[in-house]
Amino acid sequence: LYHVLLIDLIEVVKVLFIYIIKMSMSICIFQSMRKILEVRSITTACLQITQIDANDRLSQQQQQVRHMSRIKRRHTVQPFWHAAVTRTLYPENVTKVNEEFLSDVIKEQYEHKSPLAAEPWPRGEWNSKSQRCGLIGKKMGMSTLWKNDGTRMDTTLIHISDNHVIRYVPASDLRKNEFTEHSRRSKNPRGALVVGADSADPRLFTREYYNMFEKAGVMPKKKLTRFLVSDNAILQPGTPLYATHLRPGDFVDVSGYSRDQGFQGVVKRWGFKGGPKAHGSTKFHRKPGCIGSGGEMARVIPGQKMPGHMGMQFRTARGLEVVRVNSQFNCIWLKGPVIGAVGGYLNIYDSGLHHCRYRDPDNHPPFPTHYPAEEAVPHVDWWADGMHNFNDATIVFEEEAGATAK
Amino acid sequence: MLDRHDMITRRKHIDIPEFYVGSVMAVTINDPNATGRSSRFVGICIQRMNRGLKSNFTLRNVLDYQGMEIMYEMYCPVISSIETLRLEKRLDPHLLYLRDARPEYSTFPMDMEPELIAEDAPVPINDVKVKMIDGDWDKSWERQELKGIDLSGLTELQKRMALKRKTPDYVQYDLMKEYRSTLPEEDQEDIYREIAPHYPALVASQRKFRRRKLAGDA
Repeated sequence: LYHVLLIDLIEVVKVLFIYIIKMSMSICIFQSMRKILEVRSITTACLQITQIDANDRLSQQQQQVRHMSRIKRRHTVQPFWHAAVTRTLYPENVTKVNEEFLSDVIKEQYEHKSPLAAEPWPRGEWNSKSQRCGLIGKKMGMSTLWKNDGTRMDTTLIHISDNHVIRYVPASDLRKNEFTEHSRRSKNPRGALVVGADSADPRLFTREYYNMFEKAGVMPKKKLTRFLVSDNAILQPGTPLYATHLRPGDFVDVSGYSRDQGFQGVVKRWGFKGGPKAHGSTKFHRKPGCIGSGGEMARVIPGQKMPGHMGMQFRTARGLEVVRVNSQFNCIWLKGPVIGAVGGYLNIYDSGLHHCRYRDPDNHPPFPTHYPAEEAVPHVDWWADGMHNFNDATIVFEEEAGATAK
Repeated sequence: MLDRHDMITRRKHIDIPEFYVGSVMAVTINDPNATGRSSRFVGICIQRMNRGLKSNFTLRNVLDYQGMEIMYEMYCPVISSIETLRLEKRLDPHLLYLRDARPEYSTFPMDMEPELIAEDAPVPINDVKVKMIDGDWDKSWERQELKGIDLSGLTELQKRMALKRKTPDYVQYDLMKEYRSTLPEEDQEDIYREIAPHYPALVASQRKFRRRKLAGDA
């Protein structure tokens, strides 16, 4: 019996030992995974910094620095936690009748899916620290409008196409992933609203991507983006966002990707002078010339300006004035040019500039958004003050000071 | 599409008559700095650019031996009237060479009376060959294949260079060039369909403007 007990004890000890080793190994793995996640969250935080720098008061302009930057200019590979969007489409040779049947089925599926009517979320009240949701617009082109004093104004026409709120990420969840001290210790914690634009046929997407839109009860969207919002500006997933979210006279920040110039040489990309066109210049008209100082340096400094891909960079223009809002076609006119090519998506949100903030409780934009069914907009074609509405008569200047339309 | 809508809306408040490059026109604008807060300019249309809401035309005249050109934006709300005093066409798409032509071809009296023609008459084509000044020209007009210039005073060198720049005959068979410069019929039909509902109102407002003008003249 003594002998058996001893053997049992040894077995128990062995099992315990193995267990301890396994536990420690898993802890090691867990820690290494956490480290990887931390490193990735650093890089994503950097991504996020570039994307939300307009909201950050201390944000600086993108500077050309002569060291290798961890903040990448372009990201061709999506972050690992993003769902794959598109799937390989095979020719399924669906007959016309079956195609019609399928589209009917899809339509029926989304008919009564909206969660807004069933359990509407409470709506917050505006205060001076509020931050509203933004919109996703599509750049349509530029147009000219005139002011009441006869001066011309070049404006950009932006179409707010089929925007819906997809998901709400509470501030606490957001802070877990943020690495910056600023957002962790912030006195005004910001949650995030994921907004989508341009519904598309569900059959074009992967199941993973499609499932993201389940709670919102809308068709999958072609474009998604995130806007930081204060607690009182939360919107229920499935809420449609319209152009009337903005009013003429409001100021917005617009971010988007600049026009893709492709692979460009040093003269266009960095503004180098190149070489002389004549006077014996042999094949030296648009070259960079010297790329280092030589000698003790003995290397080319990382960040040396060279030919490469130009354009397709995320940029924000701040303080653009909304000059006209059309609620029939869901489009807005912004004063001045806007980044990107025609047809490109733009993130549009209330300007963070000090002189553009709202402080008066009687004069603030529709909060948390504009609900057309509940409140009517003053005009379908709504113009900012001082703009000449084409419906008005020709501008006539009176003998006294100032200009008036008859 | 929204631009077109704005153009139609503006046309309800101003009558933009038919005109071509080479027509003599009078434009009145409301100017806060002018005496009487409005100013009138008469001139020959040397260029017309159709750019939607930004469409414009340039009028040229010679006043007190000083050549003068003013570019007017057709849909600017400060323009109170546009009249065609002499409706005619020229042989060229633009008349920018009038800058280097003898002044008599760009001089028109500021109090010129409108020359009326029958409504269904075809637009007269003025095939005048404009005589140019003797000195240096701003541009080498002889190389641009312009039919409205009198090129009898050219030097041999100038004639040779002009021949060099002549576009080859085969260019007339370039289908892609024609396609790029014109709008396909299907797209044209879409646009006309869009404008069609507004057309009766436009015609009515045009008649109203012309009646008002005749009553004012009488």
